[in-house]
Amino acid sequence: MIFVVFMRDYNLYTKFMINLTKPILILSVIVGFLCGDTQSSKDIYAGDTYTEIEVAEGGTVVGNVKYGGELAALSLNLYADMQVPDTSKPTSEKLIVSSINNGLKNAVVSITNIKQGKKKTVPLIHPLVDQQKNTFVPGTLPILAGTTVDFLNGDEELHNIHTRSTKNQPFNLGTTYKQRISRTFEYPEVIKLTCDIHKKSYAWIIVLDNPYFDVTDRNGYFEICDIPPGTYKFQVWHEELGNLEKEVTVHPKEITNIEFNYAQNW
Amino acid sequence: MKPKVLLGKVGLWSATAVASAAVMLCIAPTTARALNVPTEVTELGKNTYKKYCSPCHGEEGKGDGPLARSMLPKPRDFTRGAYKFRTTPSGSLPTDEDIFRTISYGVPNSTMIPWDILTEEQRLSVIPVLKSFSEAFEVRKPDAPVDVGLEVRPTERTIAEGKKIYEEKLECWKCHGVEGRGDGPSAGEQEDDFGFPIKPFDFTTGKFKGGNSSRDVYLRFTTGLNGTPMPSFAKELSDEQRWYLTHYVMSLVKPEDKEKK
Repeated sequence: MIFVVFMRDYNLYTKFMINLTKPILILSVIVGFLCGDTQSSKDIYAGDTYTEIEVAEGGTVVGNVKYGGELAALSLNLYADMQVPDTSKPTSEKLIVSSINNGLKNAVVSITNIKQGKKKTVPLIHPLVDQQKNTFVPGTLPILAGTTVDFLNGDEELHNIHTRSTKNQPFNLGTTYKQRISRTFEYPEVIKLTCDIHKKSYAWIIVLDNPYFDVTDRNGYFEICDIPPGTYKFQVWHEELGNLEKEVTVHPKEITNIEFNYAQNW
Repeated sequence: MKPKVLLGKVGLWSATAVASAAVMLCIAPTTARALNVPTEVTELGKNTYKKYCSPCHGEEGKGDGPLARSMLPKPRDFTRGAYKFRTTPSGSLPTDEDIFRTISYGVPNSTMIPWDILTEEQRLSVIPVLKSFSEAFEVRKPDAPVDVGLEVRPTERTIAEGKKIYEEKLECWKCHGVEGRGDGPSAGEQEDDFGFPIKPFDFTTGKFKGGNSSRDVYLRFTTGLNGTPMPSFAKELSDEQRWYLTHYVMSLVKPEDKEKK
């Protein structure tokens, strides 16, 4: 009916449409932007689906990450025959394996599909990444998203701290002795830190979106506690050996033992 | 006051007003005008990118176009949002003006030519296309540009102070070499974020990649070059010290090399 009226008075119709289309266009663009924004930020913050609850009868998972490969397969030492100053010799190896139980150091264990659990508490005392004798200490640092990390230059010479990340703002800053830099990491990401002046030194910062994670000690042991009972996917990340996954059922107020083993042909 | 004198005074004042207005117009910077960057990807931008940029930078902005193989330094991979020549602090995304500047003036000592053969509209239309390649532009916003203060007057003293910073405090020579030829002890092992080898800059050539003015050189080590090993020294140096270092670095340029040829 309205259409017919409009058709009769074409001028009126066009006027009406022109008057109407502009606000509709603007509105749709705005709505589109809003929708797009919420969606994309949800993708990034996987933590939005994570709800914090009181965990009264949580279980604990302890375990061991082992390396089954041969130790002779360590990274090649290209500087073996060269005369290089001590400062540029590599001090960190990619695989640090305990000689007692083949435990793998600096592997990060985390739960990937947890929906609810203990409170996300960002440490008030900032975790510290120190540069001592051209090496980053610690070499692998798992943190909760939103944590501020302090970077310190403990050597009496110039270093730089260079991060490669996309979502978190990367930075590349030169630091002299005792310079301290604080940076906050907001988004879950695996970030490599390097010092370009001493090419051999690097470190990893693993930003995770839930508080259930741990890094293995020098014998490959880790411990994650206060997990609400249920079945979860546990993941191990190692810079050289990649990821391993395992489903583990957590029972209330019990300690579950698990073991991850990187096979030979990794 | 006699009317004649009053008239004379008014005449004098109006004359000065007109003269000063004229002077103001002459002095007014002609370059600093707002760029009209389209907010969304346009057809023009897509076509311009496909025709002029994608042979090197790749159809999806990954820096893997068919011509990229034979190039070093490699064409920029836009997917990380890491741009070298910026006015914003280290790690930050570039402003639209920064991208426009690099497109318009090119990068000396590389295969990026000044794209002044394109119209300004074409160059501007490419900017949203470049941004669309990286998710970084959705998540982050560029920080405010670094405030470049007034330049300290270059003298013998400032150059000597700059030399001290170059050789002792920041040890720039470790990569750039004692004479600034880009041949320091750590020079050979440098690589960029994408794993390609990269050479520290040779100052003696005098063709600074981000521009030849002292302001440009000042900005390079204040903001660092994203995606490369070159860090920012914003935390380490005071404003004056940065000008000292600028003067020293610019004094390393050796014009006599050209005469020999």
